[in-house]
Amino acid sequence: MNEMSKNENLDIQIYNFAYLDENTKRMIRRALLKALCIPGYQVPFSSREMPMPYGWGTGGIQVTSACLIPKDILKVIDQGADDTTNAVSIRKFFQKTANVAVTEKTSDASLIQTRHRIPETKLKEKQILVYQVPIPEPLRFLEPRETETRKMHALSEYGLMYVKLYEDIAKHGHIETAYAYPIKTNGNYVTDPSPIPKFDNPKMNNSPAIQLFGAGREQRIYAIPPYTNVKSLDFEDYPFEAMKANFKCSICGSSDSYLDEIIVSDDGKRSYICSDTDYCKEQTKLNSKKED
Amino acid sequence: MENYPFSENSINSSIAFRSLVNATSYPGRTFQINKLNKPSVLSNAAATILITLCDNESNVYLSKEYNTDEVRNWLIFNTGAIISNKKNADFVIGTWKSLLPLNDFKIGVPEYPERSATLIIEETKYKKVKCNIDGPGIKNKLNIDLPNPELFIENNNLYPLGLDFYFTNDLEILSIPRSTKINIIKSEL
Repeated sequence: MNEMSKNENLDIQIYNFAYLDENTKRMIRRALLKALCIPGYQVPFSSREMPMPYGWGTGGIQVTSACLIPKDILKVIDQGADDTTNAVSIRKFFQKTANVAVTEKTSDASLIQTRHRIPETKLKEKQILVYQVPIPEPLRFLEPRETETRKMHALSEYGLMYVKLYEDIAKHGHIETAYAYPIKTNGNYVTDPSPIPKFDNPKMNNSPAIQLFGAGREQRIYAIPPYTNVKSLDFEDYPFEAMKANFKCSICGSSDSYLDEIIVSDDGKRSYICSDTDYCKEQTKLNSKKED
Repeated sequence: MENYPFSENSINSSIAFRSLVNATSYPGRTFQINKLNKPSVLSNAAATILITLCDNESNVYLSKEYNTDEVRNWLIFNTGAIISNKKNADFVIGTWKSLLPLNDFKIGVPEYPERSATLIIEETKYKKVKCNIDGPGIKNKLNIDLPNPELFIENNNLYPLGLDFYFTNDLEILSIPRSTKINIIKSEL
Protein backbone atom coordinates (compact mmCIF):
# COMPACT_ATOMS: atom_id res chain seq x y z
CA MET A 1 0.00 0.00 0.00
CA ASN A 2 1.24 3.42 -0.85
CA GLU A 3 2.30 5.39 2.23
CA MET A 4 1.03 8.71 0.97
CA SER A 5 -2.46 7.46 0.36
CA LYS A 6 -2.90 6.25 3.95
CA ASN A 7 -4.72 8.21 6.56
CA GLU A 8 -2.31 7.99 9.47
CA ASN A 9 -4.95 8.10 12.18
CA LEU A 10 -7.19 5.46 10.70
CA ASP A 11 -4.57 3.30 8.97
CA ILE A 12 -6.84 2.78 6.00
CA GLN A 13 -6.18 3.54 2.38
CA ILE A 14 -8.10 6.67 1.47
CA TYR A 15 -7.51 6.49 -2.26
CA ASN A 16 -5.81 4.29 -4.79
CA PHE A 17 -2.25 4.72 -6.08
CA ALA A 18 -2.22 7.75 -8.41
CA TYR A 19 -5.80 8.69 -7.44
CA LEU A 20 -7.96 6.81 -9.97
CA ASP A 21 -9.58 3.51 -8.97
CA GLU A 22 -8.51 0.28 -10.64
CA ASN A 23 -11.69 -0.13 -12.72
CA THR A 24 -11.30 3.32 -14.24
CA LYS A 25 -7.64 2.64 -14.91
CA ARG A 26 -8.50 -0.61 -16.72
CA MET A 27 -10.92 1.25 -18.98
CA ILE A 28 -8.33 3.98 -19.72
CA ARG A 29 -5.55 1.41 -20.18
CA ARG A 30 -7.55 -0.53 -22.78
CA ALA A 31 -8.21 2.73 -24.65
CA LEU A 32 -4.51 3.69 -24.49
CA LEU A 33 -3.30 0.38 -25.94
CA LYS A 34 -5.82 0.50 -28.81
CA ALA A 35 -4.78 4.12 -29.38
CA LEU A 36 -1.15 2.98 -29.72
CA CYS A 37 -2.22 0.28 -32.20
CA ILE A 38 -4.10 2.83 -34.37
CA PRO A 39 -1.83 5.91 -34.39
CA GLY A 40 -3.72 9.20 -34.53
CA TYR A 41 -7.19 7.69 -34.13
CA GLN A 42 -9.28 9.16 -31.30
CA VAL A 43 -10.51 6.39 -29.01
CA PRO A 44 -13.60 7.33 -26.97
CA PHE A 45 -13.31 6.74 -23.21
CA SER A 46 -15.60 7.47 -20.29
CA SER A 47 -13.73 10.36 -18.78
CA ARG A 48 -14.04 10.81 -15.02
CA GLU A 49 -14.67 13.89 -12.98
CA MET A 50 -11.31 15.00 -11.63
CA PRO A 51 -10.62 17.32 -8.69
CA MET A 52 -9.97 20.23 -11.07
CA PRO A 53 -12.05 22.04 -13.69
CA TYR A 54 -12.23 21.03 -17.36
CA GLY A 55 -9.63 22.90 -19.34
CA TRP A 56 -6.99 22.39 -16.66
CA GLY A 57 -5.75 19.07 -17.93
CA THR A 58 -8.35 16.56 -16.74
CA GLY A 59 -7.62 14.37 -19.78
CA GLY A 60 -3.86 14.51 -19.36
CA ILE A 61 -4.10 13.82 -15.65
CA GLN A 62 -6.24 10.70 -16.25
CA VAL A 63 -3.74 9.37 -18.79
CA THR A 64 -0.84 10.10 -16.42
CA SER A 65 -2.71 8.43 -13.56
CA ALA A 66 -3.26 5.27 -15.64
CA CYS A 67 0.41 5.15 -16.71
CA LEU A 68 2.26 6.17 -13.57
CA ILE A 69 4.44 3.61 -11.72
CA PRO A 70 6.10 4.17 -8.31
CA LYS A 71 9.58 4.37 -9.91
CA ASP A 72 8.59 7.22 -12.25
CA ILE A 73 10.22 10.62 -12.22
CA LEU A 74 7.54 13.09 -13.19
CA LYS A 75 7.89 16.45 -14.91
CA VAL A 76 4.91 18.72 -15.54
CA ILE A 77 5.03 21.77 -17.79
CA ASP A 78 2.54 24.41 -18.79
CA GLN A 79 3.51 26.41 -21.90
CA GLY A 80 7.05 25.09 -21.40
CA ALA A 81 7.35 26.31 -17.81
CA ASP A 82 7.66 24.11 -14.72
CA ASP A 83 6.71 26.87 -12.30
CA THR A 84 3.29 28.03 -13.52
CA THR A 85 0.06 27.37 -11.56
CA ASN A 86 -1.24 24.49 -13.68
CA ALA A 87 2.11 22.69 -13.71
CA VAL A 88 2.74 23.19 -10.00
CA SER A 89 -0.69 21.94 -8.95
CA ILE A 90 -0.63 18.84 -11.18
CA ARG A 91 2.89 18.00 -10.00
CA LYS A 92 1.77 18.33 -6.35
CA PHE A 93 -1.31 16.23 -7.07
CA PHE A 94 0.81 13.26 -8.16
CA GLN A 95 3.39 13.77 -5.41
CA LYS A 96 0.52 13.49 -2.96
CA THR A 97 -1.46 10.66 -4.58
CA ALA A 98 1.36 8.55 -6.04
CA ASN A 99 4.37 9.61 -3.99
CA VAL A 100 6.49 9.77 -7.17
CA ALA A 101 9.74 11.68 -7.55
CA VAL A 102 9.54 14.90 -9.54
CA THR A 103 12.03 16.84 -11.59
CA GLU A 104 12.26 19.90 -13.80
CA LYS A 105 14.99 18.37 -15.96
CA THR A 106 13.60 16.98 -19.22
CA SER A 107 16.41 14.44 -19.54
CA ASP A 108 15.80 13.02 -16.03
CA ALA A 109 12.03 12.61 -16.41
CA SER A 110 10.47 9.24 -17.27
CA LEU A 111 7.00 10.74 -17.72
CA ILE A 112 6.26 14.32 -18.77
CA GLN A 113 2.79 15.83 -18.71
CA THR A 114 2.57 18.90 -20.88
CA ARG A 115 0.20 21.67 -21.79
CA HIS A 116 0.87 23.33 -25.16
CA ARG A 117 4.60 22.64 -25.63
CA ILE A 118 7.08 19.90 -26.46
CA PRO A 119 10.37 20.28 -24.53
CA GLU A 120 13.33 21.60 -26.52
CA THR A 121 15.62 18.87 -25.16
CA LYS A 122 15.39 15.79 -27.37
CA LEU A 123 13.25 13.05 -25.85
CA LYS A 124 14.52 9.49 -25.43
CA GLU A 125 13.15 5.98 -25.86
CA LYS A 126 10.57 4.90 -23.27
CA GLN A 127 10.00 8.44 -22.06
CA ILE A 128 6.27 9.13 -22.08
CA LEU A 129 4.96 12.54 -23.10
CA VAL A 130 1.33 13.12 -22.05
CA TYR A 131 -0.43 16.02 -23.78
CA GLN A 132 -3.41 17.87 -22.33
CA VAL A 133 -5.86 18.34 -25.19
CA PRO A 134 -8.81 20.77 -25.25
CA ILE A 135 -10.34 19.90 -28.68
CA PRO A 136 -9.08 16.53 -29.96
CA GLU A 137 -11.05 16.68 -33.22
CA PRO A 138 -9.07 18.64 -35.85
CA LEU A 139 -12.18 18.85 -38.06
CA ARG A 140 -14.52 20.13 -35.31
CA PHE A 141 -14.39 23.81 -36.32
CA LEU A 142 -15.11 22.82 -39.91
CA GLU A 143 -17.84 20.25 -39.19
CA PRO A 144 -19.67 20.38 -35.83
CA ARG A 145 -21.39 16.96 -36.12
CA GLU A 146 -19.49 14.08 -34.53
CA THR A 147 -21.31 11.56 -36.79
CA GLU A 148 -19.94 13.41 -39.82
CA THR A 149 -16.35 13.87 -38.62
CA ARG A 150 -16.25 10.19 -37.68
CA LYS A 151 -17.28 9.31 -41.24
CA MET A 152 -14.74 11.74 -42.67
CA HIS A 153 -11.96 10.00 -40.71
CA ALA A 154 -13.25 6.57 -41.75
CA LEU A 155 -13.15 7.60 -45.42
CA SER A 156 -9.93 9.68 -45.09
CA GLU A 157 -12.03 12.51 -46.49
CA TYR A 158 -9.86 15.49 -45.57
CA GLY A 159 -10.62 17.83 -48.47
CA LEU A 160 -12.29 20.29 -46.11
CA MET A 161 -9.11 20.72 -44.09
CA TYR A 162 -7.09 21.42 -47.24
CA VAL A 163 -9.70 23.97 -48.31
CA LYS A 164 -9.29 25.70 -44.95
CA LEU A 165 -5.50 25.87 -45.37
CA TYR A 166 -5.97 27.04 -48.97
CA GLU A 167 -8.33 29.82 -47.86
CA ASP A 168 -5.62 30.95 -45.42
CA ILE A 169 -3.23 31.30 -48.36
CA ALA A 170 -5.84 33.05 -50.53
CA LYS A 171 -6.59 35.57 -47.77
CA HIS A 172 -3.21 36.12 -46.12
CA GLY A 173 -0.66 34.89 -48.68
CA HIS A 174 0.51 32.16 -46.29
CA ILE A 175 -0.95 29.52 -43.97
CA GLU A 176 -2.07 31.57 -40.99
CA THR A 177 -2.55 28.64 -38.57
CA ALA A 178 0.23 29.07 -36.00
CA TYR A 179 -0.73 26.57 -33.30
CA ALA A 180 -2.71 23.29 -33.24
CA TYR A 181 -1.45 22.93 -36.81
CA PRO A 182 -3.04 19.74 -38.25
CA ILE A 183 -0.84 16.70 -38.77
CA LYS A 184 -1.25 13.41 -40.58
CA THR A 185 -0.22 10.46 -38.45
CA ASN A 186 1.25 7.33 -40.03
CA GLY A 187 -0.07 8.49 -43.41
CA ASN A 188 -3.63 7.89 -42.32
CA TYR A 189 -5.52 9.97 -39.75
CA VAL A 190 -5.48 13.76 -39.65
CA THR A 191 -4.79 14.50 -36.00
CA ASP A 192 -4.82 17.49 -33.69
CA PRO A 193 -1.35 17.94 -32.15
CA SER A 194 -3.01 19.85 -29.24
CA PRO A 195 -2.43 23.62 -29.16
CA ILE A 196 1.36 23.42 -29.43
CA PRO A 197 2.99 26.11 -31.58
CA LYS A 198 3.66 24.81 -35.08
CA PHE A 199 7.35 25.30 -34.23
CA ASP A 200 7.00 22.06 -32.21
CA ASN A 201 5.31 19.98 -34.95
CA PRO A 202 8.55 18.57 -36.45
CA LYS A 203 9.52 17.21 -33.00
CA MET A 204 6.54 14.82 -33.16
CA ASN A 205 7.84 13.13 -36.30
CA ASN A 206 9.82 9.95 -35.72
CA SER A 207 10.28 10.74 -32.03
CA PRO A 208 11.84 7.94 -29.97
CA ALA A 209 9.42 8.75 -27.11
CA ILE A 210 5.82 7.58 -26.58
CA GLN A 211 3.29 10.39 -27.14
CA LEU A 212 -0.12 10.04 -25.46
CA PHE A 213 -2.99 12.53 -25.69
CA GLY A 214 -5.88 12.94 -23.25
CA ALA A 215 -8.96 15.12 -23.74
CA GLY A 216 -11.07 14.96 -20.57
CA ARG A 217 -14.10 17.04 -21.45
CA GLU A 218 -14.27 15.63 -24.99
CA GLN A 219 -13.64 12.08 -23.71
CA ARG A 220 -11.02 11.06 -26.23
CA ILE A 221 -7.63 9.40 -25.98
CA TYR A 222 -5.16 9.10 -28.85
CA ALA A 223 -1.51 8.30 -29.32
CA ILE A 224 1.51 8.62 -31.55
CA PRO A 225 3.81 5.64 -31.00
CA PRO A 226 7.58 6.15 -31.23
CA TYR A 227 9.21 6.26 -34.68
CA THR A 228 5.94 7.15 -36.38
CA ASN A 229 5.67 9.32 -39.44
CA VAL A 230 4.01 12.63 -38.54
CA LYS A 231 3.54 15.09 -41.37
CA SER A 232 2.21 18.62 -41.04
CA LEU A 233 -0.36 19.22 -43.78
CA ASP A 234 0.81 21.56 -46.53
CA PHE A 235 0.93 22.14 -50.28
CA GLU A 236 3.76 21.50 -52.72
CA ASP A 237 4.04 25.21 -53.50
CA TYR A 238 3.36 26.29 -49.90
CA PRO A 239 5.43 23.87 -47.83
CA PHE A 240 5.03 23.70 -44.07
CA GLU A 241 7.30 26.05 -42.14
CA ALA A 242 8.04 25.77 -38.43
CA MET A 243 8.32 29.34 -37.25
CA LYS A 244 9.24 31.29 -34.16
CA ALA A 245 9.89 34.91 -33.22
CA ASN A 246 13.12 35.96 -34.91
CA PHE A 247 14.95 37.07 -31.76
CA LYS A 248 17.32 35.73 -29.13
CA CYS A 249 16.32 34.80 -25.59
CA SER A 250 17.23 37.78 -23.39
CA ILE A 251 18.23 35.42 -20.53
CA CYS A 252 20.26 32.64 -22.16
CA GLY A 253 20.80 34.10 -25.63
CA SER A 254 19.48 31.03 -27.41
CA SER A 255 18.23 31.67 -30.92
CA ASP A 256 16.94 28.17 -31.66
CA SER A 257 14.36 27.71 -28.90
CA TYR A 258 10.73 28.82 -28.95
CA LEU A 259 10.33 32.30 -27.43
CA ASP A 260 7.63 33.99 -25.37
CA GLU A 261 7.08 37.69 -25.92
CA ILE A 262 6.83 39.75 -22.75
CA ILE A 263 6.08 43.44 -22.30
CA VAL A 264 8.67 44.90 -19.93
CA SER A 265 7.75 48.58 -19.61
CA ASP A 266 4.71 50.87 -19.67
CA ASP A 267 5.63 52.22 -23.09
CA GLY A 268 5.36 48.72 -24.56
CA LYS A 269 9.01 47.73 -24.74
CA ARG A 270 9.28 44.03 -25.57
CA SER A 271 11.58 41.31 -24.51
CA TYR A 272 11.79 37.66 -25.57
CA ILE A 273 12.59 34.70 -23.34
CA CYS A 274 12.63 30.92 -23.80
CA SER A 275 9.24 29.35 -23.19
CA ASP A 276 11.00 26.15 -22.03
CA THR A 277 12.31 27.14 -18.58
CA ASP A 278 14.42 23.98 -18.13
CA TYR A 279 16.13 24.48 -21.50
CA CYS A 280 16.79 28.15 -20.66
CA LYS A 281 18.41 27.18 -17.34
CA GLU A 282 20.60 24.57 -19.06
CA GLN A 283 21.72 27.05 -21.72
CA THR A 284 22.52 29.67 -19.08
CA LYS A 285 24.67 27.09 -17.23
CA LEU A 286 26.47 26.13 -20.44
CA ASN A 287 27.16 29.81 -21.20
CA SER A 288 28.65 30.48 -17.76
CA LYS A 289 30.89 27.41 -18.13
CA LYS A 290 32.14 28.73 -21.45
CA GLU A 291 32.96 32.08 -19.85
CA ASP A 292 34.97 30.36 -17.11
CA MET B 1 -3.95 -11.62 0.27
CA GLU B 2 -1.85 -14.45 -1.04
CA ASN B 3 -4.51 -15.84 -3.36
CA TYR B 4 -4.95 -12.58 -5.25
CA PRO B 5 -3.18 -12.38 -8.63
CA PHE B 6 -1.17 -9.32 -7.58
CA SER B 7 0.30 -8.90 -4.09
CA GLU B 8 -0.26 -5.13 -4.23
CA ASN B 9 -3.02 -4.62 -6.72
CA SER B 10 -2.62 -0.99 -7.78
CA ILE B 11 1.19 -1.02 -7.74
CA ASN B 12 1.62 -4.35 -9.56
CA SER B 13 -1.05 -3.49 -12.12
CA SER B 14 0.66 -0.18 -12.89
CA ILE B 15 4.02 -1.88 -13.42
CA ALA B 16 2.38 -4.55 -15.58
CA PHE B 17 0.60 -1.92 -17.65
CA ARG B 18 3.84 -0.01 -18.25
CA SER B 19 5.36 -3.17 -19.74
CA LEU B 20 2.30 -3.43 -22.00
CA VAL B 21 2.67 0.22 -23.06
CA ASN B 22 6.32 -0.37 -23.89
CA ALA B 23 5.61 -3.62 -25.74
CA THR B 24 2.80 -2.02 -27.78
CA SER B 25 4.88 1.08 -28.49
CA TYR B 26 7.95 -0.86 -29.66
CA PRO B 27 6.59 -3.83 -31.67
CA GLY B 28 8.86 -6.81 -32.20
CA ARG B 29 10.90 -6.17 -29.06
CA THR B 30 10.66 -8.37 -25.98
CA PHE B 31 9.65 -6.87 -22.64
CA GLN B 32 9.63 -8.45 -19.17
CA ILE B 33 6.60 -9.15 -17.01
CA ASN B 34 6.68 -10.00 -13.29
CA LYS B 35 5.35 -13.20 -11.71
CA LEU B 36 1.83 -13.33 -10.32
CA ASN B 37 -0.58 -15.89 -8.80
CA LYS B 38 -2.30 -17.56 -11.72
CA PRO B 39 -3.68 -20.84 -13.02
CA SER B 40 -0.86 -23.22 -13.89
CA VAL B 41 -1.83 -23.56 -17.56
CA LEU B 42 -1.49 -19.79 -18.25
CA SER B 43 1.88 -18.11 -18.68
CA ASN B 44 2.68 -15.23 -16.33
CA ALA B 45 2.66 -12.83 -19.27
CA ALA B 46 -0.73 -13.94 -20.61
CA ALA B 47 -2.29 -13.93 -17.14
CA THR B 48 -0.89 -10.44 -16.54
CA ILE B 49 -2.52 -9.06 -19.70
CA LEU B 50 -5.92 -10.47 -18.70
CA ILE B 51 -5.72 -9.29 -15.07
CA THR B 52 -4.48 -5.82 -16.00
CA LEU B 53 -6.98 -5.09 -18.76
CA CYS B 54 -10.15 -7.15 -18.30
CA ASP B 55 -13.24 -6.17 -16.35
CA ASN B 56 -16.96 -6.95 -16.51
CA GLU B 57 -17.21 -5.27 -19.93
CA SER B 58 -14.60 -7.54 -21.50
CA ASN B 59 -15.52 -10.56 -23.60
CA VAL B 60 -12.81 -13.19 -23.39
CA TYR B 61 -12.48 -16.17 -25.69
CA LEU B 62 -10.48 -19.08 -24.29
CA SER B 63 -9.26 -21.65 -26.78
CA LYS B 64 -9.74 -25.32 -25.94
CA GLU B 65 -6.58 -25.83 -23.88
CA TYR B 66 -7.31 -22.77 -21.73
CA ASN B 67 -11.05 -23.27 -21.34
CA THR B 68 -10.74 -25.14 -18.02
CA ASP B 69 -12.59 -24.69 -14.73
CA GLU B 70 -9.43 -23.37 -13.13
CA VAL B 71 -8.88 -20.61 -15.74
CA ARG B 72 -12.56 -19.67 -16.00
CA ASN B 73 -13.04 -19.45 -12.22
CA TRP B 74 -9.83 -17.49 -11.75
CA LEU B 75 -10.67 -15.03 -14.54
CA ILE B 76 -14.31 -14.51 -13.58
CA PHE B 77 -13.57 -14.20 -9.86
CA ASN B 78 -10.76 -11.70 -10.30
CA THR B 79 -12.00 -9.59 -13.21
CA GLY B 80 -15.71 -10.28 -13.77
CA ALA B 81 -14.94 -10.86 -17.45
CA ILE B 82 -17.47 -12.57 -19.69
CA ILE B 83 -16.46 -15.87 -21.28
CA SER B 84 -17.48 -15.44 -24.91
CA ASN B 85 -17.40 -16.97 -28.36
CA LYS B 86 -14.88 -16.04 -31.05
CA LYS B 87 -17.11 -13.51 -32.77
CA ASN B 88 -17.68 -11.21 -29.79
CA ALA B 89 -14.31 -11.58 -28.11
CA ASP B 90 -12.35 -8.47 -27.07
CA PHE B 91 -9.52 -10.61 -25.71
CA VAL B 92 -8.55 -13.97 -27.10
CA ILE B 93 -6.15 -16.41 -25.56
CA GLY B 94 -4.76 -19.56 -27.10
CA THR B 95 -1.92 -21.23 -28.87
CA TRP B 96 -1.37 -20.21 -32.47
CA LYS B 97 -2.81 -23.34 -34.10
CA SER B 98 -5.88 -23.46 -31.87
CA LEU B 99 -6.92 -19.94 -32.94
CA LEU B 100 -6.75 -20.47 -36.70
CA PRO B 101 -8.48 -19.40 -38.85
CA LEU B 102 -8.42 -15.79 -37.67
CA ASN B 103 -11.42 -14.76 -39.78
CA ASP B 104 -13.94 -15.13 -36.96
CA PHE B 105 -12.41 -12.46 -34.72
CA LYS B 106 -13.67 -8.90 -34.90
CA ILE B 107 -11.51 -6.38 -36.70
CA GLY B 108 -13.45 -3.21 -35.85
CA VAL B 109 -15.53 -1.06 -38.20
CA PRO B 110 -14.34 1.96 -40.20
CA GLU B 111 -15.97 4.43 -37.78
CA TYR B 112 -14.71 2.52 -34.70
CA PRO B 113 -11.53 0.62 -35.61
CA GLU B 114 -10.73 0.08 -31.91
CA ARG B 115 -13.66 -2.32 -31.54
CA SER B 116 -11.42 -5.20 -32.50
CA ALA B 117 -10.00 -8.26 -30.80
CA THR B 118 -6.66 -8.41 -29.00
CA LEU B 119 -5.09 -11.84 -29.46
CA ILE B 120 -2.77 -13.30 -26.85
CA ILE B 121 -0.72 -16.07 -28.41
CA GLU B 122 0.94 -18.44 -25.96
CA GLU B 123 4.33 -19.76 -27.04
CA THR B 124 4.40 -23.32 -28.27
CA LYS B 125 6.64 -25.04 -30.73
CA TYR B 126 5.22 -24.13 -34.11
CA LYS B 127 6.70 -23.58 -37.48
CA LYS B 128 7.98 -20.05 -37.87
CA VAL B 129 9.18 -18.09 -40.84
CA LYS B 130 11.93 -15.46 -40.82
CA CYS B 131 10.46 -12.03 -41.44
CA ASN B 132 11.46 -8.45 -41.09
CA ILE B 133 9.05 -5.92 -39.74
CA ASP B 134 8.65 -2.19 -40.13
CA GLY B 135 6.13 0.49 -39.16
CA PRO B 136 5.19 2.68 -36.18
CA GLY B 137 7.38 1.98 -33.13
CA ILE B 138 10.15 0.34 -35.14
CA LYS B 139 13.32 2.41 -35.58
CA ASN B 140 15.19 0.19 -38.00
CA LYS B 141 13.67 -2.86 -39.61
CA LEU B 142 13.69 -5.77 -37.15
CA ASN B 143 14.11 -9.46 -37.90
CA ILE B 144 11.68 -11.75 -36.11
CA ASP B 145 10.19 -15.21 -36.63
CA LEU B 146 6.43 -15.41 -37.13
CA PRO B 147 4.04 -18.29 -37.72
CA ASN B 148 2.02 -18.02 -40.97
CA PRO B 149 3.35 -14.54 -41.82
CA GLU B 150 0.87 -14.29 -44.71
CA LEU B 151 -1.89 -13.89 -42.11
CA PHE B 152 -0.09 -10.92 -40.51
CA ILE B 153 0.37 -9.36 -43.94
CA GLU B 154 -3.35 -9.82 -44.61
CA ASN B 155 -4.11 -8.28 -41.21
CA ASN B 156 -1.90 -5.27 -41.92
CA ASN B 157 -3.65 -4.80 -45.27
CA LEU B 158 -6.88 -4.17 -43.34
CA TYR B 159 -5.28 -1.21 -41.52
CA PRO B 160 -6.65 0.87 -39.78
CA LEU B 161 -8.90 -2.12 -39.04
CA GLY B 162 -7.41 -5.40 -37.89
CA LEU B 163 -6.31 -7.56 -34.99
CA ASP B 164 -3.61 -6.73 -32.45
CA PHE B 165 -1.31 -9.51 -31.26
CA TYR B 166 0.68 -10.16 -28.11
CA PHE B 167 3.04 -13.14 -28.06
CA THR B 168 3.58 -14.40 -24.54
CA ASN B 169 6.27 -16.74 -23.28
CA ASP B 170 6.49 -17.24 -19.51
CA LEU B 171 7.75 -13.82 -18.34
CA GLU B 172 8.17 -12.28 -21.78
CA ILE B 173 5.85 -10.33 -24.01
CA LEU B 174 6.16 -9.09 -27.58
CA SER B 175 3.56 -7.24 -29.62
CA ILE B 176 2.64 -7.15 -33.30
CA PRO B 177 -0.10 -4.53 -33.66
CA ARG B 178 -2.13 -4.14 -36.86
CA SER B 179 0.10 -1.22 -37.91
CA THR B 180 3.19 -3.44 -38.29
CA LYS B 181 4.25 -4.23 -41.87
CA ILE B 182 5.66 -7.70 -42.45
CA ASN B 183 8.10 -8.84 -45.11
CA ILE B 184 8.90 -12.50 -45.53
CA ILE B 185 12.63 -13.07 -45.91
CA LYS B 186 13.08 -15.43 -48.81
CA SER B 187 15.23 -18.37 -47.74
CA GLU B 188 18.36 -18.85 -49.80
CA LEU B 189 17.68 -22.50 -50.53
